Amino acid sequence: MIRPLACTGFLILALGARGAAQDPRFSRLDAETRSVVAAIIDSARAQGLPSEPLVDRALEGAAKGAPGSAIVAAVRRLAADLGHARDALGAGASAAELDAAAAALRAGATTDVLTRLRRERGGRPIIIPLAVLADLVAGGVPADTAARAVLALAADSDDQLIEFRRTVERDIALGAPPGAAAEGRLATDAYGGVQTPARPRPGRP
Amino acid sequence: MFEARDDTLEYVIRHVRRPVRIDPALDGRVMERIAAHHAPRLPGLAAAWDWLVRPRQVAVSPLGALAAAVVVAVALVVMPRVGGAPPARRAPAATAAMREFQFVLVAPGARRVSLVGDFNDWDPASTPLHQTSARTIWSGVVALGPGRHRYAFLVDGTRWVADPDAPAAPSDEFGTPSSVVTVGGS
Repeated sequence: MIRPLACTGFLILALGARGAAQDPRFSRLDAETRSVVAAIIDSARAQGLPSEPLVDRALEGAAKGAPGSAIVAAVRRLAADLGHARDALGAGASAAELDAAAAALRAGATTDVLTRLRRERGGRPIIIPLAVLADLVAGGVPADTAARAVLALAADSDDQLIEFRRTVERDIALGAPPGAAAEGRLATDAYGGVQTPARPRPGRP
Repeated sequence: MFEARDDTLEYVIRHVRRPVRIDPALDGRVMERIAAHHAPRLPGLAAAWDWLVRPRQVAVSPLGALAAAVVVAVALVVMPRVGGAPPARRAPAATAAMREFQFVLVAPGARRVSLVGDFNDWDPASTPLHQTSARTIWSGVVALGPGRHRYAFLVDGTRWVADPDAPAAPSDEFGTPSSVVTVGGS
């Protein structure tokens, strides 16, 4: 006897079981690395974590000719970071938010900053504030100063936050100590928002 | 004793083998009774569920089963290539949320420079930059969706260079630098 429902379930399971190993982009990885990375990604997916940042990290390693062990370690580390980010932001966080939160945590932000930022933004996405936080830290701003700045500017638009980061970077490039540059711009609120050009032109990173 | 038993057995066998006449209309009467006795009609959803869970007897020849197995195997192999395309985040088609960004690298003596990042699946052949009239300056414009993107320049197919005009990616796990571009959505 065959039940139609059982047949459908079997087919769905069979197709789902293809998993990350069948992703054609993974043909750039050697067989051993591919199987381990696919297992990490399938496990992350089963936990409800986004898989695409993990695929990206593996592809970056492959493009740069990194050894398989380094690729596996990087993917595994990112999966752990995404898990910590999800613990802090909850199951409702989007994939892009988790990706940005993982980068912010890796940069030195605390999970408390993530939850406060979520609250301060009042339902708006927190991708850009988290990205700006990570960028400021990468530019040399101490993590707690960067977190304080982003929390203080949480009500601003994404473009205003990015402009704030640019002004701090300019000050650093002109010789200001990174922490003082961020504190100074925050105190004077001198970044002045974004001037929208009359005709949109390609932006710069 | 044995003789008498044999006679009894013969009698039973003859009785059992005697042809039995069956009324030719019996089949019709049975089917009428079954039709009159069918289950009450279920409402739409319950009927669909009943259809789904009711067991069926399916007769399949070995050749048919083999053909079905081949079809499933081909589907499993082909579908990832057809339907397993990367998510829309990488799609180059411009949408309202996407913004154009200009990437520039000064690379004297370079023969070719490409922009490689998570927006093009880290494919070195995907986004070649173009040499400007200044000869040493390589440039390209790419539409990016909101979010944070990692990338780097690849010079002459061998040398990875971070964007000097952009923040550095915090984790440099592969021994070569990467940069980050953040695209706002509001």
